[in-house]
Amino acid sequence: MGQAQSHHPIKGAGLGLKRELLPQIQAAYGTSLTAHLDFVEIAPENWIGAGGKYAKQLAWFTERYPIVCHGLCLSLGGPDPLNEDFLRQVKQFLDQHQIPLYTEHLSYCSDGGYLYDLLPIPFTEEAVHHVARRIRRTQEILERRIAVENASFYVASPIAEMDEASFIRAVLQEADCDLHLDINNIYVNSVNFGFDPHAFLREMPGERIVYAHIAGHDHETEDLIIDTHGQDVIDPVWQLLREAYELFGVFPTLLERDTNIPPLADAMHEVNKIAGLQAAQQGIARQQPADAVSRKRASA
Amino acid sequence: MSGADTDLPLFQQYQLAFTAHIRHPRLHARPEGVPAKRMRVYNEIVFNNLQSAVGACYPVLQRVLGKRAWQALLRRFFAEHQANSPFFRDIPKAFLAFLPQVETLPPYAVSLAHYEWVELAIASADTVTPMLTAEGDLVQGIPIVAPALAVLAYDYPVQKISVRFKPRQALAEPVHLLVFRNQQDEVKFVEMNAMTARLLELLQPGELTGLAALQQLGMEMGHADSTSLITFGAALLEDLRQQDIVWGVAV
Ligand SMILES: [Fe+2]
Repeated sequence: MGQAQSHHPIKGAGLGLKRELLPQIQAAYGTSLTAHLDFVEIAPENWIGAGGKYAKQLAWFTERYPIVCHGLCLSLGGPDPLNEDFLRQVKQFLDQHQIPLYTEHLSYCSDGGYLYDLLPIPFTEEAVHHVARRIRRTQEILERRIAVENASFYVASPIAEMDEASFIRAVLQEADCDLHLDINNIYVNSVNFGFDPHAFLREMPGERIVYAHIAGHDHETEDLIIDTHGQDVIDPVWQLLREAYELFGVFPTLLERDTNIPPLADAMHEVNKIAGLQAAQQGIARQQPADAVSRKRASA
Repeated sequence: MSGADTDLPLFQQYQLAFTAHIRHPRLHARPEGVPAKRMRVYNEIVFNNLQSAVGACYPVLQRVLGKRAWQALLRRFFAEHQANSPFFRDIPKAFLAFLPQVETLPPYAVSLAHYEWVELAIASADTVTPMLTAEGDLVQGIPIVAPALAVLAYDYPVQKISVRFKPRQALAEPVHLLVFRNQQDEVKFVEMNAMTARLLELLQPGELTGLAALQQLGMEMGHADSTSLITFGAALLEDLRQQDIVWGVAV
Protein backbone atom coordinates (compact mmCIF):
# COMPACT_ATOMS: atom_id res chain seq x y z
CA MET A 1 0.00 0.00 0.00
CA GLY A 2 2.86 2.35 0.82
CA GLN A 3 4.07 1.93 -2.73
CA ALA A 4 0.85 2.87 -4.44
CA GLN A 5 0.38 5.80 -2.14
CA SER A 6 2.49 8.38 -3.95
CA HIS A 7 0.16 8.02 -6.93
CA HIS A 8 -2.86 7.79 -4.73
CA PRO A 9 -5.00 10.88 -5.00
CA ILE A 10 -7.04 11.66 -1.92
CA LYS A 11 -10.54 10.29 -2.32
CA GLY A 12 -13.55 9.17 -0.34
CA ALA A 13 -14.11 9.98 3.33
CA GLY A 14 -11.57 10.92 5.98
CA LEU A 15 -11.09 11.82 9.60
CA GLY A 16 -8.92 14.44 11.32
CA LEU A 17 -6.12 12.71 13.22
CA LYS A 18 -6.53 13.85 16.80
CA ARG A 19 -4.16 12.45 19.41
CA GLU A 20 -7.10 11.00 21.37
CA LEU A 21 -8.37 9.05 18.36
CA LEU A 22 -5.03 7.88 17.10
CA PRO A 23 -4.55 4.73 19.24
CA GLN A 24 -8.18 3.78 18.61
CA ILE A 25 -7.69 3.95 14.86
CA GLN A 26 -4.54 1.85 15.15
CA ALA A 27 -6.41 -0.74 17.22
CA ALA A 28 -9.36 -0.81 14.80
CA TYR A 29 -7.22 -0.96 11.65
CA GLY A 30 -8.40 -3.66 9.27
CA THR A 31 -11.72 -4.14 11.09
CA SER A 32 -15.16 -3.21 9.79
CA LEU A 33 -15.16 -0.16 12.06
CA THR A 34 -12.62 1.66 9.88
CA ALA A 35 -13.62 0.08 6.56
CA HIS A 36 -14.79 3.43 5.15
CA LEU A 37 -11.85 5.46 6.42
CA ASP A 38 -10.06 6.35 3.19
CA PHE A 39 -7.60 8.99 4.42
CA VAL A 40 -6.61 11.06 7.43
CA GLU A 41 -5.71 14.70 7.88
CA ILE A 42 -2.98 16.23 10.03
CA ALA A 43 -1.83 19.74 10.92
CA PRO A 44 1.80 20.15 9.82
CA GLU A 45 2.32 22.52 12.77
CA ASN A 46 1.82 19.54 15.08
CA TRP A 47 3.94 16.97 13.30
CA ILE A 48 6.89 18.61 11.57
CA GLY A 49 10.04 17.95 13.57
CA ALA A 50 8.34 15.73 16.14
CA GLY A 51 10.42 12.68 17.08
CA GLY A 52 9.99 9.75 19.44
CA LYS A 53 6.56 8.18 19.66
CA TYR A 54 5.10 10.93 17.47
CA ALA A 55 7.42 10.09 14.59
CA LYS A 56 6.52 6.42 14.96
CA GLN A 57 2.80 7.17 15.00
CA LEU A 58 3.14 9.30 11.90
CA ALA A 59 5.10 6.55 10.13
CA TRP A 60 2.38 4.05 11.04
CA PHE A 61 -0.23 6.23 9.35
CA THR A 62 1.81 7.20 6.29
CA GLU A 63 2.36 3.50 5.60
CA ARG A 64 -1.36 2.77 5.69
CA TYR A 65 -3.34 5.87 4.75
CA PRO A 66 -3.14 8.69 2.26
CA ILE A 67 -2.57 11.90 4.24
CA VAL A 68 -3.79 15.45 3.79
CA CYS A 69 -1.96 18.35 5.43
CA HIS A 70 -4.27 21.07 6.69
CA GLY A 71 -2.23 24.00 7.96
CA LEU A 72 -3.21 26.38 10.72
CA CYS A 73 -0.47 28.99 11.07
CA LEU A 74 0.57 30.10 7.60
CA SER A 75 -1.42 33.30 8.10
CA LEU A 76 -2.20 33.78 4.41
CA GLY A 77 -4.13 36.94 5.24
CA GLY A 78 -1.66 38.26 7.81
CA PRO A 79 0.29 41.52 7.88
CA ASP A 80 3.68 39.86 8.54
CA PRO A 81 5.99 38.67 5.79
CA LEU A 82 5.09 35.15 4.69
CA ASN A 83 7.11 32.65 6.76
CA GLU A 84 9.12 31.15 3.94
CA ASP A 85 11.44 29.17 6.22
CA PHE A 86 8.38 27.43 7.59
CA LEU A 87 7.08 26.81 4.06
CA ARG A 88 10.34 25.16 3.08
CA GLN A 89 9.95 22.87 6.09
CA VAL A 90 6.40 22.13 4.95
CA LYS A 91 7.68 21.27 1.49
CA GLN A 92 10.28 18.91 2.87
CA PHE A 93 7.63 17.30 5.07
CA LEU A 94 5.17 16.86 2.18
CA ASP A 95 7.89 15.33 0.02
CA GLN A 96 9.24 13.08 2.74
CA HIS A 97 5.83 11.62 3.56
CA GLN A 98 4.47 11.78 0.01
CA ILE A 99 1.55 13.93 1.06
CA PRO A 100 -0.37 14.97 -2.06
CA LEU A 101 -2.49 17.81 -0.67
CA TYR A 102 -1.77 20.87 1.47
CA THR A 103 -4.55 23.28 2.36
CA GLU A 104 -4.71 26.45 4.44
CA HIS A 105 -7.29 28.87 5.76
CA LEU A 106 -8.51 32.08 4.24
CA SER A 107 -7.71 33.91 7.48
CA TYR A 108 -4.82 35.36 9.46
CA CYS A 109 -3.19 34.31 12.72
CA SER A 110 -0.29 36.69 13.28
CA ASP A 111 0.38 40.36 13.96
CA GLY A 112 4.15 40.42 14.34
CA GLY A 113 3.84 37.31 16.51
CA TYR A 114 1.64 34.24 16.21
CA LEU A 115 -1.76 34.17 17.90
CA TYR A 116 -2.41 30.53 16.92
CA ASP A 117 -6.02 31.17 16.02
CA LEU A 118 -7.99 31.93 12.87
CA LEU A 119 -8.92 35.59 12.52
CA PRO A 120 -11.06 37.21 9.83
CA ILE A 121 -9.61 39.03 6.83
CA PRO A 122 -11.55 42.17 5.87
CA PHE A 123 -13.08 41.61 2.43
CA THR A 124 -11.41 44.45 0.57
CA GLU A 125 -9.88 44.84 -2.86
CA GLU A 126 -6.41 45.35 -1.36
CA ALA A 127 -6.81 42.27 0.80
CA VAL A 128 -7.65 40.20 -2.28
CA HIS A 129 -4.35 41.19 -3.92
CA HIS A 130 -2.39 40.68 -0.71
CA VAL A 131 -3.74 37.20 -0.04
CA ALA A 132 -3.55 36.12 -3.69
CA ARG A 133 0.10 37.21 -3.86
CA ARG A 134 0.91 35.15 -0.78
CA ILE A 135 -0.91 32.08 -2.11
CA ARG A 136 1.04 32.35 -5.35
CA ARG A 137 4.31 32.60 -3.45
CA THR A 138 3.29 29.59 -1.33
CA GLN A 139 2.54 27.55 -4.43
CA GLU A 140 5.90 28.60 -5.86
CA ILE A 141 7.83 27.45 -2.80
CA LEU A 142 5.87 24.23 -2.40
CA GLU A 143 6.02 23.60 -6.16
CA ARG A 144 2.39 22.53 -6.18
CA ARG A 145 -1.11 23.95 -6.12
CA ILE A 146 -2.63 24.44 -2.74
CA ALA A 147 -6.26 24.67 -1.73
CA VAL A 148 -7.55 27.42 0.55
CA GLU A 149 -10.49 27.00 2.86
CA ASN A 150 -13.40 29.31 3.50
CA ALA A 151 -13.17 30.10 7.23
CA SER A 152 -15.80 30.56 9.90
CA PHE A 153 -15.87 33.81 11.82
CA TYR A 154 -17.82 35.94 14.27
CA VAL A 155 -17.12 39.53 13.32
CA ALA A 156 -18.01 41.07 9.97
CA SER A 157 -15.44 43.74 9.30
CA PRO A 158 -17.01 47.19 9.02
CA ILE A 159 -14.58 48.11 6.21
CA ALA A 160 -15.62 45.27 3.88
CA GLU A 161 -16.06 46.23 0.22
CA MET A 162 -17.60 42.95 -0.91
CA ASP A 163 -19.34 39.89 0.48
CA GLU A 164 -17.55 36.71 1.50
CA ALA A 165 -18.43 34.69 -1.59
CA SER A 166 -17.12 37.44 -3.89
CA PHE A 167 -13.95 37.68 -1.81
CA ILE A 168 -13.33 33.94 -2.06
CA ARG A 169 -13.94 33.90 -5.80
CA ALA A 170 -11.67 36.89 -6.37
CA VAL A 171 -8.82 35.44 -4.30
CA LEU A 172 -8.99 32.00 -5.90
CA GLN A 173 -9.06 33.46 -9.36
CA GLU A 174 -6.22 35.89 -8.83
CA ALA A 175 -4.07 33.30 -7.03
CA ASP A 176 -5.12 30.49 -9.37
CA CYS A 177 -5.40 27.99 -6.55
CA ASP A 178 -7.91 25.33 -5.53
CA LEU A 179 -10.82 25.53 -3.13
CA HIS A 180 -11.06 23.59 0.08
CA LEU A 181 -14.75 23.93 0.78
CA ASP A 182 -15.82 23.81 4.40
CA ILE A 183 -19.52 23.03 4.39
CA ASN A 184 -19.95 23.65 8.10
CA ASN A 185 -18.24 27.04 7.85
CA ILE A 186 -20.79 28.11 5.24
CA TYR A 187 -23.57 27.18 7.63
CA VAL A 188 -21.87 28.81 10.65
CA ASN A 189 -21.36 32.08 8.80
CA SER A 190 -24.87 31.99 7.36
CA VAL A 191 -26.23 32.04 10.91
CA ASN A 192 -23.65 34.47 12.28
CA PHE A 193 -24.20 36.96 9.46
CA GLY A 194 -27.71 36.12 8.32
CA PHE A 195 -27.34 34.94 4.75
CA ASP A 196 -28.72 32.04 2.72
CA PRO A 197 -26.21 29.15 2.83
CA HIS A 198 -27.71 27.53 -0.27
CA ALA A 199 -27.24 30.66 -2.34
CA PHE A 200 -23.70 30.99 -0.99
CA LEU A 201 -22.91 27.40 -1.99
CA ARG A 202 -24.10 28.04 -5.53
CA GLU A 203 -21.74 31.01 -5.73
CA MET A 204 -18.68 28.86 -5.03
CA PRO A 205 -16.41 28.11 -8.01
CA GLY A 206 -17.21 24.40 -8.24
CA GLU A 207 -14.46 23.63 -10.75
CA ARG A 208 -11.84 24.55 -8.13
CA ILE A 209 -13.11 22.30 -5.32
CA VAL A 210 -10.62 19.55 -4.51
CA TYR A 211 -11.47 18.85 -0.90
CA ALA A 212 -14.13 19.46 1.73
CA HIS A 213 -14.70 19.58 5.48
CA ILE A 214 -17.78 18.86 7.47
CA ALA A 215 -18.14 19.34 11.23
CA GLY A 216 -20.39 20.07 14.15
CA HIS A 217 -20.51 23.30 16.15
CA ASP A 218 -22.02 24.95 19.24
CA HIS A 219 -25.12 27.01 18.67
CA GLU A 220 -24.75 29.60 21.45
CA THR A 221 -27.58 32.00 20.77
CA GLU A 222 -30.09 32.32 17.98
CA ASP A 223 -27.73 34.34 15.79
CA LEU A 224 -24.35 33.08 17.02
CA ILE A 225 -22.62 29.77 16.34
CA ILE A 226 -19.19 29.03 17.79
CA ASP A 227 -17.31 26.74 15.46
CA THR A 228 -15.96 24.33 18.06
CA HIS A 229 -15.95 21.14 15.97
CA GLY A 230 -17.19 19.65 19.20
CA GLN A 231 -20.65 18.27 18.36
CA ASP A 232 -22.27 15.90 15.90
CA VAL A 233 -22.88 17.30 12.43
CA ILE A 234 -26.41 18.73 12.26
CA ASP A 235 -28.95 17.85 9.55
CA PRO A 236 -28.90 21.18 7.70
CA VAL A 237 -25.12 20.78 7.26
CA TRP A 238 -25.53 17.22 5.96
CA GLN A 239 -28.13 18.62 3.60
CA LEU A 240 -25.66 21.26 2.37
CA LEU A 241 -23.06 18.57 1.72
CA ARG A 242 -25.58 16.54 -0.28
CA GLU A 243 -26.43 19.66 -2.22
CA ALA A 244 -22.77 20.42 -2.88
CA TYR A 245 -22.27 16.90 -4.31
CA GLU A 246 -25.32 17.39 -6.52
CA LEU A 247 -24.08 20.75 -7.75
CA PHE A 248 -20.38 20.05 -8.19
CA GLY A 249 -19.94 16.29 -8.13
CA VAL A 250 -18.32 14.24 -5.34
CA PHE A 251 -15.06 15.43 -3.75
CA PRO A 252 -13.01 13.92 -0.91
CA THR A 253 -14.57 14.98 2.37
CA LEU A 254 -13.27 14.92 5.91
CA LEU A 255 -14.98 14.94 9.28
CA GLU A 256 -13.38 17.47 11.64
CA ARG A 257 -13.70 16.80 15.33
CA ASP A 258 -11.42 18.90 17.52
CA THR A 259 -13.04 19.18 20.93
CA ASN A 260 -15.31 16.98 23.02
CA ILE A 261 -13.82 14.02 21.13
CA PRO A 262 -16.18 11.02 21.09
CA PRO A 263 -15.18 7.35 20.91
CA LEU A 264 -13.93 6.35 17.45
CA ALA A 265 -17.15 4.42 16.73
CA ASP A 266 -19.17 7.65 16.99
CA ALA A 267 -16.79 9.59 14.76
CA MET A 268 -16.76 6.71 12.25
CA HIS A 269 -20.55 6.76 12.20
CA GLU A 270 -20.29 10.23 10.65
CA VAL A 271 -17.40 9.29 8.36
CA ASN A 272 -19.55 6.41 7.11
CA LYS A 273 -22.37 8.84 6.51
CA ILE A 274 -20.07 10.91 4.28
CA ALA A 275 -19.15 7.75 2.37
CA GLY A 276 -22.85 6.92 2.05
CA LEU A 277 -23.68 10.33 0.58
CA GLN A 278 -20.77 10.02 -1.84
CA ALA A 279 -21.87 6.56 -2.96
CA ALA A 280 -25.45 7.72 -3.36
CA GLN A 281 -24.39 10.70 -5.47
CA GLN A 282 -22.06 8.57 -7.57
CA GLY A 283 -24.89 6.10 -8.08
CA ILE A 284 -27.12 8.89 -9.35
CA ALA A 285 -24.32 10.25 -11.53
CA ARG A 286 -23.81 6.84 -13.14
CA GLN A 287 -27.48 6.68 -14.05
CA GLN A 288 -27.36 10.04 -15.78
CA PRO A 289 -25.72 10.65 -19.15
CA ALA A 290 -22.23 12.01 -18.56
CA ASP A 291 -22.89 15.30 -20.33
CA ALA A 292 -25.83 16.04 -18.05
CA VAL A 293 -23.49 15.89 -15.07
CA SER A 294 -20.82 18.04 -16.64
CA ARG A 295 -23.40 20.57 -17.73
CA LYS A 296 -24.55 20.76 -14.15
CA ARG A 297 -20.99 21.41 -13.00
CA ALA A 298 -20.43 24.04 -15.65
CA SER A 299 -23.59 25.90 -14.75
CA ALA A 300 -22.55 26.11 -11.08
CA MET B 1 0.28 47.29 17.20
CA SER B 2 -2.31 49.99 17.81
CA GLY B 3 -3.17 50.22 14.15
CA ALA B 4 -1.90 53.79 13.97
CA ASP B 5 0.58 53.07 11.18
CA THR B 6 -1.10 54.91 8.35
CA ASP B 7 1.41 53.75 5.73
CA LEU B 8 -0.29 50.38 5.85
CA PRO B 9 -3.32 49.55 3.72
CA LEU B 10 -6.57 50.13 5.58
CA PHE B 11 -7.35 46.43 5.91
CA GLN B 12 -4.04 45.83 7.67
CA GLN B 13 -4.53 48.76 10.00
CA TYR B 14 -7.85 47.20 10.87
CA GLN B 15 -6.30 43.73 11.35
CA LEU B 16 -3.63 45.10 13.68
CA ALA B 17 -6.18 47.07 15.69
CA PHE B 18 -8.24 43.88 15.93
CA THR B 19 -5.38 41.79 17.34
CA ALA B 20 -4.09 44.64 19.54
CA HIS B 21 -7.48 44.61 21.22
CA ILE B 22 -7.46 40.82 21.55
CA ARG B 23 -4.03 40.89 23.15
CA HIS B 24 -4.74 43.76 25.51
CA PRO B 25 -8.42 44.72 25.62
CA ARG B 26 -7.97 47.37 28.31
CA LEU B 27 -5.14 49.17 26.55
CA HIS B 28 -6.53 49.03 23.00
CA ALA B 29 -10.17 49.66 22.19
CA ARG B 30 -11.81 47.34 19.69
CA PRO B 31 -11.90 48.68 16.12
CA GLU B 32 -14.68 51.10 15.42
CA GLY B 33 -17.87 49.52 14.11
CA VAL B 34 -17.20 46.08 15.62
CA PRO B 35 -20.01 44.90 17.92
CA ALA B 36 -18.82 44.29 21.48
CA LYS B 37 -20.61 40.97 21.83
CA ARG B 38 -18.91 39.48 18.76
CA MET B 39 -15.53 40.96 19.61
CA ARG B 40 -15.72 39.26 22.97
CA VAL B 41 -15.92 35.87 21.24
CA TYR B 42 -12.43 36.42 19.84
CA ASN B 43 -11.09 37.85 23.09
CA GLU B 44 -12.17 34.65 24.79
CA ILE B 45 -11.33 31.94 22.28
CA VAL B 46 -7.89 33.23 21.38
CA PHE B 47 -6.83 33.64 24.99
CA ASN B 48 -8.40 30.34 26.05
CA ASN B 49 -6.58 28.48 23.29
CA LEU B 50 -3.28 29.94 24.36
CA GLN B 51 -4.10 29.21 27.96
CA SER B 52 -4.74 25.55 27.28
CA ALA B 53 -1.63 25.23 25.08
CA VAL B 54 0.56 26.64 27.88
CA GLY B 55 -1.37 25.13 30.77
CA ALA B 56 -1.08 21.57 29.46
CA CYS B 57 2.70 21.82 29.83
CA TYR B 58 2.80 23.41 33.28
CA PRO B 59 0.29 21.68 35.57
CA VAL B 60 2.41 22.05 38.72
CA LEU B 61 3.45 25.67 38.20
CA GLN B 62 -0.16 26.48 37.49
CA ARG B 63 -1.37 24.98 40.75
CA VAL B 64 1.48 26.36 42.83
CA LEU B 65 0.86 29.91 41.63
CA GLY B 66 -2.89 29.68 42.05
CA LYS B 67 -5.59 30.49 39.54
CA ARG B 68 -5.46 34.29 39.72
CA ALA B 69 -1.68 34.67 39.52
CA TRP B 70 -1.59 32.10 36.72
CA GLN B 71 -4.22 33.96 34.69
CA ALA B 72 -2.47 37.27 35.23
CA LEU B 73 0.83 35.75 34.15
CA LEU B 74 -0.70 34.34 30.97
CA ARG B 75 -2.44 37.63 30.25
CA ARG B 76 0.89 39.42 30.44
CA PHE B 77 2.59 36.77 28.28
CA PHE B 78 -0.12 37.10 25.69
CA ALA B 79 -0.02 40.90 25.70
CA GLU B 80 3.76 41.27 25.60
CA HIS B 81 5.20 38.23 23.89
CA GLN B 82 5.69 38.01 20.14
CA ALA B 83 5.69 34.30 19.39
CA ASN B 84 7.86 33.63 16.36
CA SER B 85 7.28 29.93 15.79
CA PRO B 86 4.32 28.45 13.91
CA PHE B 87 4.76 25.13 15.73
CA PHE B 88 2.39 24.52 18.60
CA ARG B 89 4.90 22.72 20.76
CA ASP B 90 7.00 25.89 20.79
CA ILE B 91 4.29 27.80 22.67
CA PRO B 92 5.33 26.38 26.08
CA LYS B 93 8.96 27.02 25.16
CA ALA B 94 8.23 30.67 24.42
CA PHE B 95 6.43 30.91 27.75
CA LEU B 96 9.50 29.49 29.48
CA ALA B 97 11.70 32.07 27.77
CA PHE B 98 9.33 34.83 28.91
CA LEU B 99 9.29 33.88 32.60
CA PRO B 100 12.69 35.25 33.76
CA GLN B 101 11.57 38.82 33.07
CA VAL B 102 8.62 38.51 35.46
CA GLU B 103 9.78 39.97 38.78
CA THR B 104 6.83 38.86 40.86
CA LEU B 105 7.31 35.10 40.62
CA PRO B 106 8.55 32.93 43.50
CA PRO B 107 12.31 32.23 43.16
CA TYR B 108 11.84 28.56 42.21
CA ALA B 109 9.30 29.27 39.43
CA VAL B 110 11.70 29.35 36.50
CA SER B 111 13.44 26.13 37.60
CA LEU B 112 10.10 24.41 38.11
CA ALA B 113 8.85 25.59 34.72
CA HIS B 114 12.00 24.31 33.05
CA TYR B 115 11.59 20.96 34.77
CA GLU B 116 8.01 20.70 33.51
CA TRP B 117 8.87 21.85 30.00
CA VAL B 118 11.77 19.44 29.59
CA GLU B 119 9.40 16.47 29.69
CA LEU B 120 7.69 17.74 26.55
CA ALA B 121 11.03 18.59 24.94
CA ILE B 122 12.46 15.12 25.55
CA ALA B 123 9.24 13.34 24.54
CA SER B 124 9.19 15.06 21.14
CA ALA B 125 12.93 15.51 20.49
CA ASP B 126 13.70 14.49 16.93
CA THR B 127 16.77 12.32 17.44
CA VAL B 128 18.86 9.88 15.48
CA THR B 129 20.00 6.69 17.19
CA PRO B 130 23.64 5.84 16.35
CA MET B 131 24.55 2.31 15.28
CA LEU B 132 25.05 0.25 18.41
CA THR B 133 25.11 -3.21 19.85
CA ALA B 134 23.06 -3.71 23.00
CA GLU B 135 25.58 -6.17 24.43
CA GLY B 136 29.20 -5.13 24.46
CA ASP B 137 31.88 -3.95 26.83
CA LEU B 138 30.96 -0.58 28.29
CA VAL B 139 34.50 0.08 29.55
CA GLN B 140 36.49 -0.77 26.43
CA GLY B 141 33.79 0.34 23.98
CA ILE B 142 32.07 3.70 23.45
CA PRO B 143 28.83 3.65 25.48
CA ILE B 144 25.85 5.09 23.63
CA VAL B 145 23.41 6.92 25.89
CA ALA B 146 19.73 7.48 25.08
CA PRO B 147 19.73 10.03 22.24
CA ALA B 148 16.97 12.10 23.85
CA LEU B 149 18.57 12.87 27.19
CA ALA B 150 19.28 15.93 29.32
CA VAL B 151 21.48 16.14 32.39
CA LEU B 152 20.06 18.91 34.56
CA ALA B 153 20.98 20.67 37.77
CA TYR B 154 18.50 22.83 39.66
CA ASP B 155 18.96 25.12 42.64
CA TYR B 156 15.56 24.05 43.94
CA PRO B 157 14.16 20.55 44.53
CA VAL B 158 11.86 20.94 41.54
CA GLN B 159 10.81 17.31 41.55
CA LYS B 160 9.23 17.75 45.00
CA ILE B 161 7.47 21.08 44.54
CA SER B 162 3.70 21.02 45.02
CA VAL B 163 0.95 23.16 46.48
CA ARG B 164 1.98 21.84 49.89
CA PHE B 165 5.73 22.18 49.35
CA LYS B 166 6.98 25.53 48.11
CA PRO B 167 10.70 25.85 48.92
CA ARG B 168 11.66 29.12 50.55
CA GLN B 169 15.34 29.01 49.71
CA ALA B 170 17.74 27.47 47.29
CA LEU B 171 19.43 24.14 48.05
CA ALA B 172 22.96 24.18 49.46
CA GLU B 173 23.95 21.77 46.68
CA PRO B 174 22.02 21.67 43.39
CA VAL B 175 19.86 18.63 42.71
CA HIS B 176 20.99 16.60 39.67
CA LEU B 177 18.23 15.19 37.53
CA LEU B 178 18.45 13.11 34.46
CA VAL B 179 15.55 13.11 32.04
CA PHE B 180 15.62 10.76 29.08
CA ARG B 181 13.48 8.82 26.64
CA ASN B 182 13.86 5.06 26.93
CA GLN B 183 13.67 2.61 24.06
CA GLN B 184 9.90 2.35 24.54
CA ASP B 185 9.71 6.13 23.97
CA GLU B 186 8.67 6.77 27.57
CA VAL B 187 10.12 9.82 29.33
CA LYS B 188 11.83 8.95 32.61
CA PHE B 189 13.26 11.13 35.37
CA VAL B 190 16.11 9.90 37.57
CA GLU B 191 17.69 11.74 40.49
CA MET B 192 21.42 11.13 40.63
CA ASN B 193 24.61 12.26 42.29
CA ALA B 194 26.95 14.84 40.78
CA MET B 195 29.47 12.20 39.70
CA THR B 196 27.00 10.13 37.69
CA ALA B 197 25.62 13.30 36.17
CA ARG B 198 29.12 14.33 35.08
CA LEU B 199 29.85 10.87 33.68
CA LEU B 200 26.72 11.07 31.54
CA GLU B 201 27.73 14.50 30.30
CA LEU B 202 31.08 13.07 29.25
CA LEU B 203 29.42 10.13 27.48
CA GLN B 204 26.65 12.07 25.78
CA PRO B 205 28.61 13.15 22.68
CA GLY B 206 29.33 9.43 22.00
CA GLU B 207 33.06 9.98 21.51
CA LEU B 208 34.73 8.61 24.64
CA THR B 209 35.15 4.98 25.61
CA GLY B 210 33.86 4.10 29.05
CA LEU B 211 37.46 3.89 30.22
CA ALA B 212 38.43 7.31 28.84
CA ALA B 213 35.33 8.89 30.39
CA LEU B 214 36.07 7.32 33.78
CA GLN B 215 39.70 8.41 33.65
CA GLN B 216 38.64 11.94 32.79
CA LEU B 217 36.16 11.86 35.65
CA GLY B 218 38.90 10.58 38.04
CA MET B 219 41.14 13.44 37.00
CA GLU B 220 38.45 16.06 37.49
CA MET B 221 37.68 14.66 40.94
CA GLY B 222 41.35 14.45 41.88
CA HIS B 223 40.85 10.73 42.42
CA ALA B 224 44.21 9.01 43.01
CA ASP B 225 43.23 5.33 42.87
CA SER B 226 42.15 4.84 39.27
CA THR B 227 41.79 1.02 39.59
CA SER B 228 39.03 1.24 42.17
CA LEU B 229 37.35 4.05 40.23
CA ILE B 230 37.28 1.91 37.11
CA THR B 231 35.90 -1.12 38.95
CA PHE B 232 33.25 1.09 40.47
CA GLY B 233 32.65 2.86 37.15
CA ALA B 234 32.17 -0.42 35.26
CA ALA B 235 29.41 -1.39 37.70
CA LEU B 236 27.86 2.06 37.37
CA LEU B 237 27.81 1.81 33.57
CA GLU B 238 26.14 -1.61 33.80
CA ASP B 239 23.56 -0.12 36.12
CA LEU B 240 22.89 2.68 33.61
CA ARG B 241 22.40 0.03 30.92
CA GLN B 242 19.89 -1.78 33.16
CA GLN B 243 17.95 1.47 33.48
CA ASP B 244 17.90 1.94 29.69
CA ILE B 245 19.93 5.14 30.04
CA VAL B 246 22.88 3.55 28.24
CA TRP B 247 21.57 1.66 25.22
CA GLY B 248 24.74 -0.22 24.27
CA VAL B 249 28.11 0.21 22.65
CA ALA B 250 28.90 1.99 19.39
CA VAL B 251 29.69 -0.26 16.41
FE1 LIG C 1 -12.41 23.18 8.16
